[in-house]
Amino acid sequence: MNDNELSTMVRESVADVHSTTPVTQIISRGRAVRARRGIPGVAGALVVAAGTALAVTTLVPSSHPGLPPSAHPSSHPISVRLAAWTVAKQADGKIDVTIHQLRNPAGLQATLRADGLPVTVSFSGQLGLSPSCQPYSTAMSSVKAVTQIHGDGLVIDPSALPSGTGVAIFDEPGKGLPVPSGTTPTLGRKPPTHPSIPRLLTTLDGPLAVGLVYASQQCTG
Amino acid sequence: MSVGTQQPDFAEFYRSAADECLRAVLVSIGDQDTARELVDEAFARAWASWRTVSKHPAPKAWVVRTALNASISRWRRRRREVPVPDPDMVADPPAASGASISLVDPRIMAALMRLPARQRQVVALRLILDLDTARTAEMLGIAPGTVMAHMGRAMAALRHDLQPELQQECRS
Repeated sequence: MNDNELSTMVRESVADVHSTTPVTQIISRGRAVRARRGIPGVAGALVVAAGTALAVTTLVPSSHPGLPPSAHPSSHPISVRLAAWTVAKQADGKIDVTIHQLRNPAGLQATLRADGLPVTVSFSGQLGLSPSCQPYSTAMSSVKAVTQIHGDGLVIDPSALPSGTGVAIFDEPGKGLPVPSGTTPTLGRKPPTHPSIPRLLTTLDGPLAVGLVYASQQCTG
Repeated sequence: MSVGTQQPDFAEFYRSAADECLRAVLVSIGDQDTARELVDEAFARAWASWRTVSKHPAPKAWVVRTALNASISRWRRRRREVPVPDPDMVADPPAASGASISLVDPRIMAALMRLPARQRQVVALRLILDLDTARTAEMLGIAPGTVMAHMGRAMAALRHDLQPELQQECRS
């Protein structure tokens, strides 16, 4: 076997491998990358008035709370950008969340809710997950349809949420959400240990989990 | 360059280069799901820096190099993470792993994975991306002579690994 034959063999061994990710998804991730790169400058500005900025983030929503997601102007894509996390509302209604540090969960929760997303956010027990939050036990495909993980962030598609559900973002994945009662093994498959913890993303402060919960006033606002 | 004008260029580049970049990263790291994730991230970074990347003499190699760097960063980060069960893997392991394995020749992939990492990177850039020795050396930050040495050793090892199986196939 000469070098040409061997080279051909190696090339042909992976010839059936094709990328299936749509370019729109790549561009969406690219926007998140850009948003992350813009953070140092914004963080520097925030040092001047950090307290004010955090208060504004927590108390003043990024958009009009009464408006549905589709009613937000597409010319205003960035909702809130902080050193700890960034929320960017995309023109197609999806919400791009990048989390670097597990800080100010109430601010993140308020910002996401203001963007029309039923959500509960809990970091390190600062907020605590309400006992009224019930995990939504469903196929992982449904959760994947709602959230797409990329590095230290995720893109949430509110329109893909199953009816009556919301998103839970929390650290301490083993403690944040209980395993739903009544979970039964599916024939031929091992039941997942934490059915409501589908995805993990990495932040500077540690791993963060994302799952689905039943929406309620007490849990997801 | 505005976002609106750069997207068509990038989309064209992505469509023409995504498969090759994915195969090159796959040859370098061995795991198809991880390779897809890394290449997606690398292309996202390419989009974010498209003004620079579009002028790069070998943008595909830039993407592959970025994906491999991300792989190293990810490995370093995960050493510090608390392991938790991955429900996706627990819930449906046969489908997930089966889909990946069916697309590549397992004998050749196993032989590639027995090569040292640097040799696999050289094979990926030289054979899959079809870069010449000088460009491969530039992308990997090593001397052209070192690239040739790695390539020669890699080909010898692959030939040694795969030759007996080929001969057996011919006899049968």
